[in-house]
Amino acid sequence: MSKKHAIRLTVNGRQYEAEVEPRVTLVDFLRHQLGLTGTHVGCEHGVCGACTVMVNGRAVRSCLMLAVQADGAEVVTIEGLSEDGRLHPIQEAFAEAHGLQCGFCTPGFVMSAYELLTRESEVDEGTIKEVLGGVLCRCTGYKAIYESVQLAARKMGKMPA
Amino acid sequence: MVSQAEWHLPRSLEELPISSPRYIGKPVRKVEAPPLLTGRAQFADDLDLPGMLHCAILRSPYGHARIKRIDVSAALELPGVVAVVTGQDMQQWVRPMGGIPSGWGTHCLAVDKVRFVGEPIAAVAAVDRHTAEDALDLIEVEFEPLPAVVNALEAKEEGAPLLYEDKGTNVMFHRLFTWGDAAKAFQEADHVLTEQFRWHRLGANPIETFGVIAQWDPVENAVTCWGSFQAPSFSAMGIAGALGLPLSKVKLVPMAHGGSFGGKGNPRGALIAAVLSRKAGGRPVKWIEDRLEYLMAGGGQAWERFYEASIAVKNDGTILGIRIKLVDDIGASGENSGAISAIKPLAAFTGCYAIPAAQYEVTMVATNKNPQSAYRGMGPPAHYVVLEGMVDIAARHLGLDPAEMRRRNFIPPDRFPYTIPSGNEYDSGNYPALLDRLLEMSSYQELRRQQEELRRQGRLVGLGLVSAVEPGAFNMNVYTILGVPAGTAVPEGATVALDPFGSVRVTVGFALEGQGQYTFVTQLMADYFCVTPDQVKVTCTDTLSAPVHFGPGGSRLAVALTGAVLGAAEALRRKLETAASYLLGCEPGQVEMMDGMLRVKGQPERRMSWQEVVGAMSARPDLFPPGMDLSTQATYVWVPPDRNMPDEQGRAKSYLTAAAACHLALVEVDPETGKVDVLKYWVVDDCGTRLNPATVAGMTQGGVAQGIGAALMEEYVYDADGQLLTTTFMDYLLPTIYEVPPVESAEMVTPSPFTPLGVKGMGEGPMISAPAAVICAVNDALAPLGVRVTDVPASPARVWQAIAQARGQG
Repeated sequence: MSKKHAIRLTVNGRQYEAEVEPRVTLVDFLRHQLGLTGTHVGCEHGVCGACTVMVNGRAVRSCLMLAVQADGAEVVTIEGLSEDGRLHPIQEAFAEAHGLQCGFCTPGFVMSAYELLTRESEVDEGTIKEVLGGVLCRCTGYKAIYESVQLAARKMGKMPA
Repeated sequence: MVSQAEWHLPRSLEELPISSPRYIGKPVRKVEAPPLLTGRAQFADDLDLPGMLHCAILRSPYGHARIKRIDVSAALELPGVVAVVTGQDMQQWVRPMGGIPSGWGTHCLAVDKVRFVGEPIAAVAAVDRHTAEDALDLIEVEFEPLPAVVNALEAKEEGAPLLYEDKGTNVMFHRLFTWGDAAKAFQEADHVLTEQFRWHRLGANPIETFGVIAQWDPVENAVTCWGSFQAPSFSAMGIAGALGLPLSKVKLVPMAHGGSFGGKGNPRGALIAAVLSRKAGGRPVKWIEDRLEYLMAGGGQAWERFYEASIAVKNDGTILGIRIKLVDDIGASGENSGAISAIKPLAAFTGCYAIPAAQYEVTMVATNKNPQSAYRGMGPPAHYVVLEGMVDIAARHLGLDPAEMRRRNFIPPDRFPYTIPSGNEYDSGNYPALLDRLLEMSSYQELRRQQEELRRQGRLVGLGLVSAVEPGAFNMNVYTILGVPAGTAVPEGATVALDPFGSVRVTVGFALEGQGQYTFVTQLMADYFCVTPDQVKVTCTDTLSAPVHFGPGGSRLAVALTGAVLGAAEALRRKLETAASYLLGCEPGQVEMMDGMLRVKGQPERRMSWQEVVGAMSARPDLFPPGMDLSTQATYVWVPPDRNMPDEQGRAKSYLTAAAACHLALVEVDPETGKVDVLKYWVVDDCGTRLNPATVAGMTQGGVAQGIGAALMEEYVYDADGQLLTTTFMDYLLPTIYEVPPVESAEMVTPSPFTPLGVKGMGEGPMISAPAAVICAVNDALAPLGVRVTDVPASPARVWQAIAQARGQG
C-alpha cells in the first residue's frame, strides 16, 4: 500500500473530493470509489475501449489513465448522458437500431460516438468507422452499431438524412 | 407444476388464441436495451457487498512442473490479507472437479504438479485487489520443471512426457465410428481425394471476463455465488458436487452477462472464492478474472485440431462417403466441456448432403495447455471447414462449380424428417431453395464472371460458397459417449403469473445475455394475453427458486423457452377457461379464450376478460367449487420430445432442430503480404419461424464476425515449453469493424414440425458456416496458383507462405 493523494474532479456535473492511491486507475476509481459502475472494464490494456469516458471533452480509455491524473478534470460517463431516465439521442438510436446485444461494450461505443457527435459539426461513413474501429464488440459484428451511430448523427443533425 | 409432452403446444402462430399477432415475429425493440444503454444493468463486478474481500490467484509460470514446496507465511502477514489457500488446503475442502471425458478432472488449485501456464496454485483474499495481488508476490513456490508436451501428435505417442503418470498415457479418449458401408463407398468411388487440415486454438473471449462473488454461510454450511453464470443450475450442480454439499445448500444468483459464447464455464473461480470465504469466516469474496487470466487460463480456449479427411465421389459429383480422422488437443484436463466439441459433429456429420456412409475416428489428447472449453458452435465450425473444404476439393477435381456440386448432393426437400448416417434426425429443410436464393441475391454468375476478369489482371479474388446444418435445441444424450452422466432431456422451465390488474410476470432461471430472450418472451406473452409489452415483466431468479432450467447454449433457448412459456400460458388458459365456466354459468369445456377474453363457444357475446376471471379467482373463492385450484400462475418445464440414447455406434436422435444456411464470401488476397480482405458477404438462412427478425439478423452478423475472426485472425500460440505467447488483445486479435463487412442476408422459413411455433435454434449457425465460407474463398482465390491453405486461421504469414511456395520461393 502506498500513500494516498487527494483529488478533486467533476463527474457528470457533480463535484467530488477523494483520496486515492496513486496506482488506482480512473476506471477503478469511477466504478469502485464513486459507484459509477456503468463504465466497464474489458481488457485493462487499452485495446477494447469498453471503458471509454470523456475527460475534458475528449474520449479517454479510463483503464489507461490514473485517477490522480484526473485531478481537476471534468469527466462524463455513460451515467451522465441520460436525464431522469430519458435516453440521450445516441442511446435512443442504439435502442432503435438494435445496436447492442450483451451490452457490456455498449457504454464504450456510446461514449466514443458521443465524443464524435459533440465534437464534429458533420460526420460521414469514414469518420464514424474510424471512431468505432477503436472499440471491440464480440456480439454484434458492428453493422447495427454503425447503423445506430449513423441514426444518432441524423437525429443530431450531423449527417444528411 | 405442469410437465407434459411438448406436442400439445401450439405448432404455429396461427394456433395461438389470438386473431393475429401484434408483436411476435416482428422486429420489436429489445426490452433489455435501456438498462444496458444507461449503465444500470448489474454485472458481476458491479456488485459490492458489506465486508467484501477481493481475491487474487497465484498461477503457474511453467507448462509442466512439480511443486516441491509452497510457503504462504509472508503473504499471511501482509496487512489487509485475511485468508490464503493452496492445493493442500483444497484437498480437505473440495473434491476434484468432474472431467469430460470422465476420469480426466482435476483439482481447482494444483496439487503436487502444475500442468499448464496459468494453472492456479494458491489464492489470497484481502481487503482490496491491490493488496491481494501484493500478497501473491510474497508466496514462495519451489518448482521442479518437467519437460512439457504441447503438440497432440507427439503427446499421444509412447514415451511422451505424461501429464498424469497414473494414467500411463496422454490419450484421453479414442473411438472409431463407422456409419453405413464406408468400405464399399470408397471401393466404388471413381475418385478418392484426401487432404489434411489444421485448426488452431481459439476461443470465446466475451468482452466481460468471468466474475464471481462467493459467500460461505458457516452456520448453515451453505454457499451463495453471485456471478457471470451462463447455465446457472448446471454450474450449481458442479459446485455442489465439488464442495460436497446438497444442491439445496448452493445458491447461484446469475448476474447480467457480458457475453459468454460458452467461454465462462470454468468452475475454478467460484470454488476458490467459496473456499476463501469459508476460511475468512463467511465474509463475501469477489474474484474478477482479468483479461490476461482469461486468455491464459479462463474458459476461453477451444478446439485445437489435426484433421485428415478423404472423400469418395463418382464422376457425376455424387458423394458416396466421407472419412474424417481427428486428433483433438484437449489441453491439461477435462475440467471444461471442450471434449464435447469433438462429439457434437455427430449431430450433423454429413452436413446438408445425402452422403450414405461415413467414418469418424476421434482421438483426444492431453497436453500442457489451458484445458479446452466450449465456444459458440461447439466443434462444427472446424468440422465444416473440413467437410466443405473436401466438397470444394472434389468439385475442383471434377471441374464442377461449387454450387452445382452441392446441389447434386443435397438431401431432397421431400425426404424430411431425414436420418443422417451418424444417427441424428433433421426435422425439416429445403436446401436447394436456400441455394437458389443465395445465387440470385448475390448475382453469383455475375460474380464469377467478374472474378475471371480480375484473375486475368492478376488479382487473387475468391468466392467461398458453403451450406451447413446447425444442430439446434441441444441434447446431452450423445455426450454419454464421453461418460457425461446424462439422459435424453435438457430442460427449460418458466413460471408465468397473472394478476387482476393485467400484468404478466414471467420467471426464468438465466440472466441477461444478449440474444434478446427476455424480448421474445415479452412479445409472446403480450400477444398471448393481449396486453402491451409494458405489462409483461421477465425476471431471473436464483437457482434455489428458479424453475428447472439450463439456460442459453447449444442453439436452444428460442425453442426451449418458447416451449416453457407457452406451456405455462396454455396451462393458465385451461385454468381460466374452467374458472370462467363457473362465472359465465355454463359447462366446463364450453368456454374458450380468444384475444384475451373468455367466451362461451358459439355465444361470443357471453364473455369476460381474463383480468376479471383472475380477479375472481384471487378474491372470490366462494364463487367456485371447493377444492378447485385457484392459483393464477403456472410453471411448465419443456424438454425436447422423442429423443433416445445412443447405440453402439453413437447414433441417436440428439439435437431436435436442423436450421440450415448457405453462406457466400467474396475475398481478395494481397499477394505481397498474404493479407485477406473479406469484401462482401451474403447469408440465406432458414431457422423456421422467426420470433424476432431483428434479433436473428443481429446474431447472423455477429456470428459471421466471429467466423471471420476464426478464419483469418484468432489464434492462441504456445511455444515449445508451453508458454502462451498471445496474452493481450494486441496478440490475440479480435475482428474490428474494419475486418467485418455488413452481411447481406435473406430468410427462408421451413417451420420445424417438432417444436413449439415451428422455431429452430439459430444462435450458433452463422459461426458454424462462416469459417468454412472464408477458408473456401481464400482457397478459391489461390486456386490459379495451384496451392491451398489448410491451416486455420489463414493468417497473412500462412497465406504468404503458400503464395511463395507457388512461386517457388517457399
